[in-house]
Amino acid sequence: MRPAAGQIELDASLEVRVEPRPAEPRRVAEIFERFAEEHDLPPQVLMRMELALDEALTNVVSYAFPEESGDAVITVGMDIRERRVRICIEDNGPPFDPLTEAPEPDVEAPAEEREIGGLGVHLAKTFVETLRYERVDGRNRLTLEQSLEDQPENSPS
Amino acid sequence: MKVTTSTSGTASVAAVEGRVDSANAKDLDQELGAIIDSGGSRLVVDCSNLRYISSAGLRALLVAIKRTNKEGGGVAMCNVPEHIREVLEVSGFTRLTKVFGTVEEAAGSFA
Repeated sequence: MRPAAGQIELDASLEVRVEPRPAEPRRVAEIFERFAEEHDLPPQVLMRMELALDEALTNVVSYAFPEESGDAVITVGMDIRERRVRICIEDNGPPFDPLTEAPEPDVEAPAEEREIGGLGVHLAKTFVETLRYERVDGRNRLTLEQSLEDQPENSPS
Repeated sequence: MKVTTSTSGTASVAAVEGRVDSANAKDLDQELGAIIDSGGSRLVVDCSNLRYISSAGLRALLVAIKRTNKEGGGVAMCNVPEHIREVLEVSGFTRLTKVFGTVEEAAGSFA
């Protein structure tokens, strides 16, 4: 959807169709980088949201469609509206809520006991203000949302 | 991504450049594995030109940390850009590997 004439330039949106292939998260992450740079998002917001997007989309293309699936439909929508950046990842794979079903990593464990599973979701949860999962009309929808008003100057650690 | 290998004192140095994500983390795993295979159990990872790392890249790093620890060495990182350091902190990697200002300091930490 294009912003209507007269709207401030910051309001923008973009939708990307994604194939269930390993190279896709990088392509989409770089599209988001360009989108964010064109709209002057602060570098820290860009970096954190790009990582969250990459992690979430990597999970979808890696696990949601285990077999050659011609009818996989994955879309990534990104928009900036009312000083909020939003990324919406949708797929028609089996129901999976990464926010509750991904394993919670122990980031304090020593290397020998360290498992890497769930780390991507942990990074996304830490770096982005709001993450929301919904199952809508047979699709998984994960929404990442970040306000641009309050710059996250505080370290998340 | 590009990995350039050199030595500093008794340590092997891997300068990792560019972007490490799920599409090429396997390459990083192989590059670091090859250095460790050839005796580099004291491994410095120079992040001066590392632009981006996701959890897939961290997985490759964890493999290297486990292997070098087992062989009595370890991994020391240096020249870590602020946004990469944030990723390391959030994922608890600053507990697994020390972060230094320069290659020499990182290499010297094994002495």
